[in-house]
Amino acid sequence: MIISITAFSWLIGIALVLTVAAPLILLGLLLRDRKKGELW
Amino acid sequence: MNIVQSAILDPTVGWLILAAFSALWIALGWYWGRSAQQLDDYVLAGRRVGLALGTATAMATWVTSNTTMAAPQLALQMGVWGMLGYSLGSVGLFMFAPLARRIRRLMPSGYTSGDFIRLRYGTVAWRVFLLISLFYSLGWLVSMGMAGGILIHALTGIPYHYGMTVILTICVGYTLLGGLRAVIGTDFVQALLILSGLVVIAVLAIREVGLDTIHAAALAERPELLNLLMPASIMFLFNNLLFGVGEIFHSNVWWSRAFAFRAGVGFRAYMLAGVLWAPIPIVAGFIALAAPALGLNVPAADMVGPMIAAKILGTTGAVLVLIMVFAALSSSIDSLLAATSILVVEDIYRRHMRPDASAAEMRKATARIIVGLGILTWILCAPRLTTLAELLYFTGAFVASTIWPIAAGLFWRRANTAGAVLGMIVGSSAGLYSYFAVGFYVAALVGAAVSMLCVIAASFLRPAQFDFTNLKEKHPSEQQLSGRPSVESGVSA
Repeated sequence: MIISITAFSWLIGIALVLTVAAPLILLGLLLRDRKKGELW
Repeated sequence: MNIVQSAILDPTVGWLILAAFSALWIALGWYWGRSAQQLDDYVLAGRRVGLALGTATAMATWVTSNTTMAAPQLALQMGVWGMLGYSLGSVGLFMFAPLARRIRRLMPSGYTSGDFIRLRYGTVAWRVFLLISLFYSLGWLVSMGMAGGILIHALTGIPYHYGMTVILTICVGYTLLGGLRAVIGTDFVQALLILSGLVVIAVLAIREVGLDTIHAAALAERPELLNLLMPASIMFLFNNLLFGVGEIFHSNVWWSRAFAFRAGVGFRAYMLAGVLWAPIPIVAGFIALAAPALGLNVPAADMVGPMIAAKILGTTGAVLVLIMVFAALSSSIDSLLAATSILVVEDIYRRHMRPDASAAEMRKATARIIVGLGILTWILCAPRLTTLAELLYFTGAFVASTIWPIAAGLFWRRANTAGAVLGMIVGSSAGLYSYFAVGFYVAALVGAAVSMLCVIAASFLRPAQFDFTNLKEKHPSEQQLSGRPSVESGVSA
């Protein structure tokens, strides 16, 4: 059973979106923790 | 072909990058660790780590050089399931999330995973567990040290011994300067570097080659890579899942973080780390599937990632890969040094040799053990025996046999000592036998299954009635911490 081009594109696309979002999420959380005084 | 001649970066550029990032890690390690004088500050970052740093350190530590280098290799060898199977390594992070919450709640003053096994199951189980855990930690350290030397040599032509020495020395240096605070702080920066580098390479691969072309070329030249029913890949998928769960459940790398995170953070940090980690092997892996479309001849499958990055991006791509690999190696080696040193100090030095050791003595011993571990790792890595790096694969059977004793011990009052000891010994033996009799892809599977049977059968035959408040041990060194109570001790997660 061969993975179709559509499924393949969706798989890579979702993984890439999450990877792009990851540093933004981490930086956002860092700013929030710092504001709340909960960094360390 | 001589590997120095085939290196994709000039050694001078390689040395400049290594020097720049080494200076950065040391400076950051010193800066973040300058206030870590007390034992808890040094070995557990003061037990106040927030969600952002907690998530980043869990994610970055789990991104080893294997994630960035072996995921493309597996995609090239096992196709779509290779990268999906690798991605299932995130299940360990998801499953550890509820454990992290419970560990913080039951053991607010705990230090190591060894503390838990000793208090929950007694001395015999504790010693068996320590053997497994220390064997695994040393195996992981040696495999990372060797990977550092080999990858730096392959990417830049810098001799193996120089690259391996640099990576070990730098990691020992900043872990020594700042303890777990330095490790967690640098992990955040390393996580950002790994993620950013990966995104740049993947986006440019799609723009230059195109997903349609990658799919069409793979279908024409190596259709098995797109086959969703490749049997070996499916076996690999389940084994990798259990290996990852076993690694995370037992290792003090993850327990020390559960103790270090501020109350209420552990569950969310591990869940989010799992979500952010899961796509990394897929993004790193799919790049390898571009090899047929690029007409690339890959002489060594483990170098397919850097080769494609260099083909698409030239020198910039090779520089990005070197930075990512250096960050991935550092984020794992520093965590192992920090977590293994406190395991040795708490469970061997204090519990076996110096029961009256003060907090200051333990702080000093931890620093010495970090240096000692670095030297021992260097000695074991120096002969470059690949068989030593392969030892890590054996540990699949051992670590998978700890899954049930730990999970049942944390949540199930009836789990007893006999089940835990038998589970670890018989599970490890059965897993090891299957490794040689069947193959590497079943060792963790068999180890976990046999251990499960032992734990469940023993608990039904002679159920224990464990009182979980027994885990709230007051650490003697707490009372010696300049008269101040341990931060947030007793606060429910």
